[in-house]
Order: sequence, then structure tokens, then C-alpha cells
Amino acid sequence: MSLPKLARLPSARLLTSVLPHHQLLLPPLSPLTIPCRTKIQQDYRRPGQPIQKEPPLNFNFSKGIKNIKKHFMLMKDEFFGRFVGPQGKPLIEHILEQNLVIWEFRGPESLKQWTVSSDQEIGGQSEAHLKMGRNVNTCFLHGKLCTTTPRDGETRYSGYCNMRSKIPKASFDRKKHYDWTSFNTLHLRVRGDGRPWMINIATETYFSHQKDDIYTYFLYTRGGPYWQEVKIPFSKFFLSHRGRIQDDQHPIWLDKVNTIGFTLGDKAEGHFQLEVDFVAVCKDYAHTEEFAYEMYERNPKN
Amino acid sequence: MSPYVLVLLLFTLGLGTTLAFVSSHWLLAWVGLEINTLAILPLMVRNHHPRAVEAATKYFLIQAGGAAVLLFAGVTNAWLTGQWGIQQATSPIFIGVISIALALKLGLAPLHSWMPEVFQGLDLNTGLVLATWQKLAPLALLFQIQPANSPLLIFLGLASTLIGGWGGLNQTQLRKILAYSSIAQLGWVVLVVQFSPSLATLAVLVYIVAAAATFIILKLVKSTNINMLAVSWAKSPALVAMAPLVFLSLAGLPPLTGFMPKWLIIEELSKQGLGPAATLAVLTALLSLYYYLRITYAMTLTMFPNNFSGVPPWRLRPLQLTFPLACLVTGTISVLPLTPAAIALVAL
Repeated sequence: MSLPKLARLPSARLLTSVLPHHQLLLPPLSPLTIPCRTKIQQDYRRPGQPIQKEPPLNFNFSKGIKNIKKHFMLMKDEFFGRFVGPQGKPLIEHILEQNLVIWEFRGPESLKQWTVSSDQEIGGQSEAHLKMGRNVNTCFLHGKLCTTTPRDGETRYSGYCNMRSKIPKASFDRKKHYDWTSFNTLHLRVRGDGRPWMINIATETYFSHQKDDIYTYFLYTRGGPYWQEVKIPFSKFFLSHRGRIQDDQHPIWLDKVNTIGFTLGDKAEGHFQLEVDFVAVCKDYAHTEEFAYEMYERNPKN
Repeated sequence: MSPYVLVLLLFTLGLGTTLAFVSSHWLLAWVGLEINTLAILPLMVRNHHPRAVEAATKYFLIQAGGAAVLLFAGVTNAWLTGQWGIQQATSPIFIGVISIALALKLGLAPLHSWMPEVFQGLDLNTGLVLATWQKLAPLALLFQIQPANSPLLIFLGLASTLIGGWGGLNQTQLRKILAYSSIAQLGWVVLVVQFSPSLATLAVLVYIVAAAATFIILKLVKSTNINMLAVSWAKSPALVAMAPLVFLSLAGLPPLTGFMPKWLIIEELSKQGLGPAATLAVLTALLSLYYYLRITYAMTLTMFPNNFSGVPPWRLRPLQLTFPLACLVTGTISVLPLTPAAIALVAL
């Protein structure tokens, strides 16, 4: 599963390559009737990109039976977990816990919870790979960043790699969310190569229709052989939409967190590597800041 | 938000409820309900936040749906019988559809699923308005319709008390707990509305006072989670000492005020020959009591073993709602001895 294609709305001229032929005979579209962006993003093929054929339907009966068993087991755990407490944990644990490790890389199975992507989706040449570290207790994200823009006539910038966690799923592939309201700090143990990374947290945006809203902060790695323990309060995360920092800021709400991701986009060509031991959340009682950024009045009258 | 816009919205909120109160025509009642819905939506999205937008979206869809069903029933009744008057409707099917529409607007079980999510997305001020003021208009209409569908209202009431108690058990978010509490309390109101509207009015008034006290307490200690309650003793020790009484009053424990409506409702149900319904309602109140006790435990009865090495949280600021809170807490805790006076007052 890869990130959705980062396509901008194409110009009207390019629409002719998107719309079916019979629609070309219709009167030209006015700006008010431009087709919806999601449709374009699904069907739009950048110039030079190969045509992706749909994979053939693969019907596997035994796999289906296994999946059904898996989902019913999950449903049973959820049902009986309610008798233990919220989210299957006793309430006293919810009240007393100060640290919670969300992701730790202790085996190859842990890598399946993450998705790696790069600008190859938009025609770039960066590479990113994820594997277990040498001591099998960490994950190792490495690759090569390439800022060469794809030659499609419309992309102006390129060069990013990303590692993003998958959305947690309940039984029957229903979307679940992380509830981190008991915590106020993100705690990571990483070993980088001195490059600045971005940590992106995505919350539930189904009803707000702003699915590209992401809360971002920076992770400055030190490089070198020593591990780095990073604690970032959630009050420091700022809102951005499709890479642009928004004027109307608000603190991140932690009751419905979907994914966390690490992105490298520092415009420096060359190899990179990042080793992650664990990603945890913790509660720092000394940190009482609610939001790190002041909100100024926009468009003041004077 | 501009103060002019805020005042306009608050006045519109009042206008909508007043219209629903004074109307004797289904169309005017529908207008009042819709004005109410439209007035609170900007208040809900005052903070431009995805969760607030989610809450407003869900609230709008539910309330618009309920109002549409209500209008549909009113128009159909007028078409079939020629009657638009609220108190002149007698057809059981019509009364049933109206009851379901109003149950959807109130958040009674089994039409309650929207309430916890909507409350979770709001700040405590707007949540207070939603839990108290927004219930008045649909309840006013429910009180006026003729009691032709006894089993339906009993079912709605019992389901609400049961689901309101059960659903709140597995919550750590205080706003969701208060949403389930609201469902349960309105279940008690609906149980008795067809037998004694004055008693239902008393129950609503006691609930509004107690819910307002609860919301203001949570706002003062700035807690939206059970964990945050654990450190509220440092913010306001006196408030933390009074808060358990408010929560237990909501649970309906004597000798607090919250016991008054529950006691009178059980008495009325027994007089009407609904002993099993009364028993079930009492048993489901125990479920609600459990999560109120849990909140009390987290807030007051336990000193959690967490190191407090940092700066203590802020103290009460000068301009807080301390006077209204004092009045509401007094009303929530100590009005039980005035039960005969309260009954006489609502029976007027």
C-alpha cells in the first residue's frame, strides 16, 4: 500500500488526457464544473509514467477461510476485552500508566506495520528500503535521496522518502484509532545520520474532509554511533496541509490518532539512514504547555 | 468569534427553544427546532478543529434527520386528518413516528449513537449547552403529545437507562461519560412523561442543574479525561471535595437532590402497575452509579503515586463561574428536603 499520489489539480489542457473521449465532444467545462480532485487523483497518469494494469483477480479459498477465522478471533477479543476495561486494559492501568510503547521492532513481523514510500510514485528517482537492523532489535530505513525532478513538465520539486505506520484495524478491517489523551510527549529512540527528519502524525479526518491535514515536527538526528533519545511534546506539533503550514493553528487532539510517519525531504542528495529502536508515548508532568505557537489576529482592522 | 455574532447566536438559540415552547402548530414547532439546530452549529465549530467539525457534522445530520421526520409526520397527519395542532394529534402511528423523531433529537436509545462522538468533539461550554438547553425544545414537544404509545415510550426509557449505564462503563473520556449520563437521565424522564408530565418536568430541571454543575466543575479543573482528574486536587481542593457529591447526586443517591426525581418516578411507575419496569430502571441506575463512583474515586478518594516535580497547574483565575457554580452545587446537593415544595411547584 503506498501513499496516495501527490497530484496537483492539472490545467484544463491536461484534462483532455483524463476525460473519456466521448466527453471531448461535449462543450468545454467551465471552472465551476471541474471534475472532483479525488477522481482525477485516482485516474490521472503523469506524462511518462507507465500505464498500470489492474492485477488479475486472485481467488484463494483457504486464504479466505483463514481471514474469516482471524477476524472472528479479533471480534471475540474485542467483545471480551470490554469486560476487562477500556480498549481491553483495566482502567487502573489507563489511569496509572506513564509510558506506553506503541511500536517496537523486535522481529521481521513488526516491519509489516509500516509502509515505505518515496518520490518514485511521482516519477522521481529516490529510493527507500526498510529492513531489520543488524541486532534484529531495531528497524533500519535507508536509501538514497535524489532531487532530480521527473521530466513530466509539471513537477517542480522532488526528493522525499517516507516511512509511515499503517492505520490500525479492528475486526473485519474496520478502522481503529490510537487514543493517546493520557500522554503528552512522543518518545523515540533513534540513531540517524545527522539529517533533519520530519515526524508527521495524522489524525482522523473523515468528517472534516481535510484528509491531507498532518501535524508535523522536526527530528534533528545527531549521527554517529550513539543512540539518541528524543522526547517531543505533542504541544509542539503544528498543523500543515499538503506540506504547507496553515495560518489557523490548533493543538493536536490525541483521541483519534491514525498514523505516524518519518519523512526526509531536506533537499540534500545522497544516501541516508535512520535506525529506530522504539516509538513510545509518555506523560511528562513537568510539561504543562498546551500549545507552543501563539495565534495572532489575522487581517487586523488597524 | 465576534461578540456581536456570539450574542446573535445565543439569542437565536433562545428564540428557537421559545418558539418550540409556545407553538401549538407542528410547522411552527419544526421551525423552532430547526432554528435551534442552525444556531448552535456555529457555536460548535467556533474552534476550527477537525474534531469540532466532525461533531458539528454529525449533530447537523442527526438533528436535520429528526426534524425532517417530525415535519413529515406532521404534514402527513395534516393531510389525513386536517389537524395541525400539537395536542390534537391522536393517531397512534402519528404519535409513534413523532416520538421516534423526538427520541432521535434527544439522543434516546436506541437512537443514541451520535451523542458520545458529538460531545467528545466539543469544548465543555458548548457541551453544557448541548446537554441542557438543546434538550428543552424536543422535551416540550414530547410533553405535549397525547400518550397513545405507552409501550414505545417505556421501551425508549428503559433502553436509554440501560444503554446509558452500560455504555459509560468503558469510557475514559469524561465528555463521553457525560453523554451516556445524559442518555440515562433522559431515559428516566421519558419513562414517566406519559403518566405525569409534571414529574418529568421536575426530573428535567434536576438533571439540568446537576449537569450544569458537573460541566462547570470539569471546566474549572480543566479535565477532559479521567487521568486529568487525578491531579485536580492541586488545582482546587475545595472543589474536589464537593465534586463527588455532585456526581453522586447525578447517580441518584440519597440524601442528595438527584434522589428526588428517581424516587418519585419509581413511585409513579409502581402506582401505574409497572413494577417490572421500575425494577429494571433501578437496576440500570446501578450501572450509572458505577462510573460516577469511578470518577469520584479518581478525583477525590485517591492520591495517585505520581511524582509532581514540575510546576503545579494553574490556580483559579479571578473571573471564573464560581458564583453560578456555588448556586448549582447547592441546588444539586441539598434540595431533597424541599421535595414537597418542588412537587407543588411543578404541578402548578
